[in-house]
Amino acid sequence: MRIDGITIFCLRIPFVEAFRHSTSARSFSDSIVVRVKAEDGTVGYGEGLARSYVTGETVESLVAHIVNRLWPAVARSDYSEISRNPDPLALLSSINESLPETSDGVIAWHGARTAIEIALIDCLLRSEGLSLGRILPAKRQLVIYSGVITTGSMEAAVRHARYFKLFGLKYLKIKIDTTNPVERVAAIRSAVGSDISLRVDANGAFDARTAGKVLSALNDFGVDAAEQPIGRGHPEELAELRVSSPIPIVADESLVTLADGRALVDARACDYFNLRLSKCGGIFRTLQMARLAGSAGLRVQLGSHVGETAILSAAGRHVAAHLENVDFVEGSYGSLLLAEDISRDSVVFGHGGVAPLLRGPGLGINVREEVLRNYAQNIISLSTPARPAHFRKGEVRNVSTNQGSHQVAGKTPASQARAGSIVSGKHSKTFPA
Amino acid sequence: MSIRSLVESEYAAQTEAFAGSEILRSLRSGKAPAKAYDDFIARLCRTHLNSPQILAFLYSLAPPRVADPLKHNMLEELGLDKAGVAHPELLLRLARAAGFDEQERATLKAQSQSELRRMCTDPILFGTFREFGLTVLLEVTCFEWMLSRLGKPIGDLLAKHRGLSQADLLWFTHHSEVDQRHAEEGLDAVVEYATYYEFEETDFRLITEIVFRENVFLKRYFAKSEVSRPALMLSL
Repeated sequence: MRIDGITIFCLRIPFVEAFRHSTSARSFSDSIVVRVKAEDGTVGYGEGLARSYVTGETVESLVAHIVNRLWPAVARSDYSEISRNPDPLALLSSINESLPETSDGVIAWHGARTAIEIALIDCLLRSEGLSLGRILPAKRQLVIYSGVITTGSMEAAVRHARYFKLFGLKYLKIKIDTTNPVERVAAIRSAVGSDISLRVDANGAFDARTAGKVLSALNDFGVDAAEQPIGRGHPEELAELRVSSPIPIVADESLVTLADGRALVDARACDYFNLRLSKCGGIFRTLQMARLAGSAGLRVQLGSHVGETAILSAAGRHVAAHLENVDFVEGSYGSLLLAEDISRDSVVFGHGGVAPLLRGPGLGINVREEVLRNYAQNIISLSTPARPAHFRKGEVRNVSTNQGSHQVAGKTPASQARAGSIVSGKHSKTFPA
Repeated sequence: MSIRSLVESEYAAQTEAFAGSEILRSLRSGKAPAKAYDDFIARLCRTHLNSPQILAFLYSLAPPRVADPLKHNMLEELGLDKAGVAHPELLLRLARAAGFDEQERATLKAQSQSELRRMCTDPILFGTFREFGLTVLLEVTCFEWMLSRLGKPIGDLLAKHRGLSQADLLWFTHHSEVDQRHAEEGLDAVVEYATYYEFEETDFRLITEIVFRENVFLKRYFAKSEVSRPALMLSL
């Protein structure tokens, strides 16, 4: 099975409320959605997010990486043998191997890899009529999600906590920073009572000394885990904090690559890995990290990026259901946060944070392409130049954008992108090669 | 603030924001393209074509003291009252007059039905029908409150700028009249619902905030998301 073309949608979906934490604030989703189309006409969707403070990617560099590096590799690959392999996990491994590995100028091109990897998985599975659940057999029949309370005023935080209590959520994560973190947690504990599990996430807001004091104080309020109290740095610093902390430590920004994971394990720096698909480089690499965590006796939190659409939510649902050692799951916020999500059926969890397994082909969701187009700031289409047999009348060959088509004979998308010839959105942009 | 005052102030704020919205002002000015009027008519039809079913749901949850008015409202929608005019038929007449052909009208009905289906298939955040019913009741009665005030002006703008006759716009004139009564009955129903189902004030307020975190009219009629209370919105 070969892939005939991909389309990249650079989304801008408004949030119904701005989301803030100690390193970033955002009021819209800037997800990158990739649609791949196989030679048999099957379509699959993937999604990645650019977070410069996590992987080092920006929206522009992420898109350029797909155009320049990943798409040419996908266009060259034949996935026929992969999709026929009787070992389902071989599909994930082979797709991962088909994508080139570079980290030039960033921590990792994981958002870009995730978008392509998930789109390929969705496409190849749909082509066979198989659910992702076939590859990742569920260890549980329901996935239970946590609520996340953003930073902001104390009044708003308490109010949000009450919403979540009304929704029956059993797990809450509280974003904290240097402004009254202990008082914040105390107020929320008072509002929700003692039956709800609380965690905190500082997104690296504290220095090691302050973090130690804050974690000691938070222990009085029944906090079950503290995520990334200090910034991404040497694992030894986190390990030192862990020794003195009465609260289990979760590594998030410190854990982007498998090498990061090994270093954290070697340093005994944490109790939990926070795995996020787009941060970790897709499903295969997330599973690798989860396996590493399990072998080291660590537990897992399956997190999410703010602004994920139904695509990453669905992929996350499958992974969460599959993992043995997952204690906390985040995401699937869909239209609770987005003005509109892109799937026909909602992926939002229900009362208690409970969500069912997805059983349809591929990821198990139906993407509404009209919604993608409605919220796309830029649309970039790339097709394979080498197979004119699949070139149909009216279809743009090689590169097209939502500013019109650019048929460039004899040039690959990568060469065009390097030459800065892709027009993106309303403005001509040169993608960094 | 009493429940009645709280709810009425929410309805007023929603209606005021809708009346002052750029998109409605554009339609009123006559400067909007013809397609904007047709899109509005299409979404209006999709929003209200299944109102009888929604009212039937509310009737099934209604406290005894307000069950009769809700039943009467539902029968009115179905055309089973003395007036004998089914409201979905009025909407389809409006669509036909606006140039929607038979297939397009069938599509509107199918889209409205799919919204109902979505309402049934989407996970419910609340633990019981008690809370879910309140969210539906608040939104439905808010629409009635708005239509009792803006139904006629909206009908007038469609007459003026879209060339529709008064007969074609009967849905608006009808609602601007009967919804004055419905708006008052709706407030009564909400208060009685809260009392009958013994809502704590905090929970009632939270649910009201959730329902009205966006402008419901802009969302339903124009697919626009406009946050109505930025500092107090649900956040995840």
